[in-house]
Amino acid sequence: MISITIDNHKVAVKEGDTILKAAEKAGIVIPTLCHKDGVEHYSSCMVCIVKDIKKNSFLPSCSAMAKEGMEIDASGEAVIMMRKKAVSMLLTEHRAECEAPCRIVCPAGYNIPLMNRMLTAADYEGATNLIRSETAAEELKCISCKAYCENACRRKKIDEPLSIRNTRIFIYEHINRHVAADKVIDNNLKPVVQKNASIGEEPNLRKRFFSKTGRIEDNELKEWLKECSGDGTRYRVIDDFESASKEAGSCMHCDCRAASNCRLREVAESLSLKDPSGKIVNLPLAKKINHRSGLIFENGKCIKCGLCVRVCEDSKEEPVLCFINRGFISVISEPLTEEFDNTLITQTDICVSVCPTGALAKFR
Amino acid sequence: MHLRKLSRKNDDIVKSECGCQLPDIGSVIAAVDEVVKYTGREKDKVILILQEVQKRINYLPSEALKRICEVTDITPGQISGVSTFYSQFRHLPVGKHIIKICAGTACHVKGSQLISESFKRVLSIDDSRNSSPDNMFSIEEVACLGCCTLAPVVQIDGKTYGHVKPTQTENIIDNFLRSHDKNVEPEKEEDGKSFEAEVRIGLGSCCVAGGSKEILSKLLEIKEGFGLNIKVKPVGCVGVCNQTPLLEIVKPDDNHFRYTNVRKGQVEEILLKHIRPGSVNNRFRYRLNDLADTFLSDEKQRSPINLPGNIREKYLDNFLKKQIRLATLHSGILTPDSIDEYLLLGGFEALKKSIFLQKPSDIIEIINQSGLRGRGGAGFRTGLKWRISADSPGSVKYVVCNGDEGDPGAFMDRMLLESFPYRIIEGMLIAGYATGAADGIFYIRAEYPLAVSRVKDAIKQCYEKGFLGEKIQGSGFTFNIRIFEGAGAFVCGEETALIASLEGKRGTPHLRPPYPAEKGFMEKPTLVNNVETLALVPWIINNGAEAFNEIGTEKSKGTKVFALAGKVARGGLIEVPMGITIGDIIYNIGEGVAEGRKFKAVQIGGPSGGCIPASLENTPIDFEQLTDMGAMMGSGGMVVLDDSDCIVDVAKYFLTFTHKQSCGKCTFCRVGTKLMLDILTRLSEGKASLMEIDELERLGQYVKDGSLCGLGKTAPNPVLTGLKYFREEYEAHAKGYCPVKKCRDLIKYTITDKCTGCTKCSQECPVNAIPFRPFEKHEIDLTLCTKCDNCRIVCPENAVEIADINDQHNNR
Repeated sequence: MISITIDNHKVAVKEGDTILKAAEKAGIVIPTLCHKDGVEHYSSCMVCIVKDIKKNSFLPSCSAMAKEGMEIDASGEAVIMMRKKAVSMLLTEHRAECEAPCRIVCPAGYNIPLMNRMLTAADYEGATNLIRSETAAEELKCISCKAYCENACRRKKIDEPLSIRNTRIFIYEHINRHVAADKVIDNNLKPVVQKNASIGEEPNLRKRFFSKTGRIEDNELKEWLKECSGDGTRYRVIDDFESASKEAGSCMHCDCRAASNCRLREVAESLSLKDPSGKIVNLPLAKKINHRSGLIFENGKCIKCGLCVRVCEDSKEEPVLCFINRGFISVISEPLTEEFDNTLITQTDICVSVCPTGALAKFR
Repeated sequence: MHLRKLSRKNDDIVKSECGCQLPDIGSVIAAVDEVVKYTGREKDKVILILQEVQKRINYLPSEALKRICEVTDITPGQISGVSTFYSQFRHLPVGKHIIKICAGTACHVKGSQLISESFKRVLSIDDSRNSSPDNMFSIEEVACLGCCTLAPVVQIDGKTYGHVKPTQTENIIDNFLRSHDKNVEPEKEEDGKSFEAEVRIGLGSCCVAGGSKEILSKLLEIKEGFGLNIKVKPVGCVGVCNQTPLLEIVKPDDNHFRYTNVRKGQVEEILLKHIRPGSVNNRFRYRLNDLADTFLSDEKQRSPINLPGNIREKYLDNFLKKQIRLATLHSGILTPDSIDEYLLLGGFEALKKSIFLQKPSDIIEIINQSGLRGRGGAGFRTGLKWRISADSPGSVKYVVCNGDEGDPGAFMDRMLLESFPYRIIEGMLIAGYATGAADGIFYIRAEYPLAVSRVKDAIKQCYEKGFLGEKIQGSGFTFNIRIFEGAGAFVCGEETALIASLEGKRGTPHLRPPYPAEKGFMEKPTLVNNVETLALVPWIINNGAEAFNEIGTEKSKGTKVFALAGKVARGGLIEVPMGITIGDIIYNIGEGVAEGRKFKAVQIGGPSGGCIPASLENTPIDFEQLTDMGAMMGSGGMVVLDDSDCIVDVAKYFLTFTHKQSCGKCTFCRVGTKLMLDILTRLSEGKASLMEIDELERLGQYVKDGSLCGLGKTAPNPVLTGLKYFREEYEAHAKGYCPVKKCRDLIKYTITDKCTGCTKCSQECPVNAIPFRPFEKHEIDLTLCTKCDNCRIVCPENAVEIADINDQHNNR
């Protein structure tokens, strides 16, 4: 056993243990992104950085081994500053949006992307319930709103924005019709009045961290279009669920699949980062690649932690993802010899589960 | 960039557009199968297999990669990662001949960018295509060809052209297409014969580039023609690389006569001055033949013989006087590829002394006491490293010679490997004996083909003479050596990345500890030492720790080999004692700054080092002093900058290099260097604000503190030292002008009243920006001008000037 000091706590650890492990033992939380227990350390993100006080140098705690008599600063000002810098550097190359633009601008914070998804999947009851819960306490604000959501809708750059306002008004009126009908004839469609908290609702959306993509190139818009299910026919007037569903099919799903379970976002929030400083010139274009299993890979969101490469077993029978290129232009990709569809046969889920961002996620 | 997509799409385009023949799948498969037969099919062979396949089919089509996966243990992920990591590997077909344009530091400050643009223009190669329309040529910018004293340098299929000017590119291509590289083999040595004189001619890369092969053939021709009783002897690098080729005549009474910059036409005159022809008859007959040649060529130039001897040799004496030869012992005497001669001059004595008379631990003690520190850059104590490796448990251990010299502007390791392969093998053997290793690996970068072939040859001879293999020289010591050729990644100079590369992986470093000396190649203890470090070992064993200890400063002992290049009058390879001052090197050895300009700064240690200003020229050079000044010993590149060099431009150059060479693993290095480079680029365009200079400095500090390996930790040094010593120059750029008029976006070309209207510039202008108006003062159309510098070079009146872009005075 060796003993080291972390933030003035003395901890005894086994020889060969990392500083991160020692900190865990002492109850000190060190944020990590590229680290996962049981997977060989890699030390790429540098978010777990700590300071060796005696040597006056910084170390990645996930791979630096504890040495007898070490004094570690894991939460000092300089360390936090380094962590902030590391995360904001990652964010400068993280071409992603945590939330869809329509939702960000909505004065009431309605979850428009979720509604669209439900409508696309013909889950009319779900969509109705969602709107019912959002308007439980008050009137639907869309009626008097100038439809900022439609102004922000990314589809606008392709043809015209989604008919969000009309869709919501139609559903709202549909609910009201049924509520009114309830009073006259006893319909078995029961009104759900209480707030349904289970439908992807996060508290304090306004206070959360938002990653931004900056200017989106035309090629990238095409990547976004990949997720549209509709045939391109648009419905301005919504008078039934069928037209609402078809119109929702043109939604480009700008919101991130990992919006509520993104480790990068969590770390950025915990370090109270607002906006990454510094913009990168000539950032590679963001791409979306669809896998037959429903896996979607968005390379713009990738922070090159390599976890998906390391957790999978590479074999000739089942090729997995790998690093391509060197340096700033290095990316995670399918092997040069394979199509994306032929990779990851049995190991899709583990890839999705380890990805610290929304780069690898399942289609919803 | 998705290379796969790119290569697949382009396959069709290449076929249809230029009709070039792509290898069909059958021949690709045959080539791969043939290669795998002799390389083996293990995972760690991937780099070798890729190299061999590329040699056969010129690039790596995805069919080849697929086939390699099928017939070996290599997986798709591994081959994709590795083949895109190393810059040597191409996934697109290239032209028949490859023009390698050196982008090393020395070449950069001498305008390699203009050369590259000129070649692209002449061959009509642009960003959309990677070879000339006739598929004859492709252009490749390489980090450094290691011929810094001949900068700027261009290499076409192994033929090197030095001191290239942008206006000469067409001539060079013509010359290349016409030339048939004649390979001259030096004659076999006749034993026991006494010669009237020995004629030595350098055959290092620089000398060959300077034309020493032609001199050699001329020497042999004259010897034959006149029946001269001389011994023509090719020798390794003397270090006087900017005065190549160097010819030395040694008389039996040990009188030396040296001639630098020898031209073909002068050889006869020089020889006949010192050596009597065999017979009058011979002389007459040869003369007659030669007379005809003389009329037909104007090669007889100003004779060096007419110069008084003291002027002729003064420079060489100065150059060599201040130097101490340990690693480069017998430089200029030793024939690089002769083991007999190495033995004659005391070679392998240190090895015999070690294996027969010393215990391994005693050898480590000698190295430890000598105070030898690693010459690769960081200066870790060699003795300590050996001890760690020797003390690590396990019976299988390795010694690796790190010859992955990647610093642009450094060529020490290349020269040592080319000129003293036996000495390095001996050093490696001693290291192996001391640490208990039985296997040695030479890691040599792919850009050094001559070094690879010399070492290969030397290893073969060592096996034949019993210096390698089982029971060396009858002792119980067994040692085997093999060569591993790098594939073009600067980061592999870092020892953990080097080991990853040896194992057939992407060359990404990892955090130490565990040190390679404890757990390295194949998880076994591996001693990784730099070429120069190993070259010093035999000298230390022969002369004792104390003798080595006497040279140098308190903490840095012995000598250091530097590659002196850039704007210095006499560049070359020098070995000097530690503690010598910067000024001493530049003024006494280098004879000051070239072309009468002013010494501004010296860039020591390449991209990891820093710019040290002229005001610190009295600082003695050792590991600590350099670190204190913000620079670093690095591997020993020393590029002199004069008052026409822009510090921002140099910093941008180095950061572009490290940014490109970063492995991309850790955030600070991958993203941080990019953010820094963005600011520097804006500065050089005059678009950055003063605030951004502070941001640049902060970023530099973060990258330095936060990066994982040595590359990232030292990458900001050129910027940080620049800001420390030349901040006003950065600020000038933020204000929109370049004080030395170097940054292209901040300058313009103008023609002054000195113009006589000779139209030379107009004829030379590749974009017709200068209207053809004889006997009138010419004018440059700034909207067309590409700032290629051609007009300034050809103007006989020096009437073309570079002005500040905002200068209203010259705006017409």
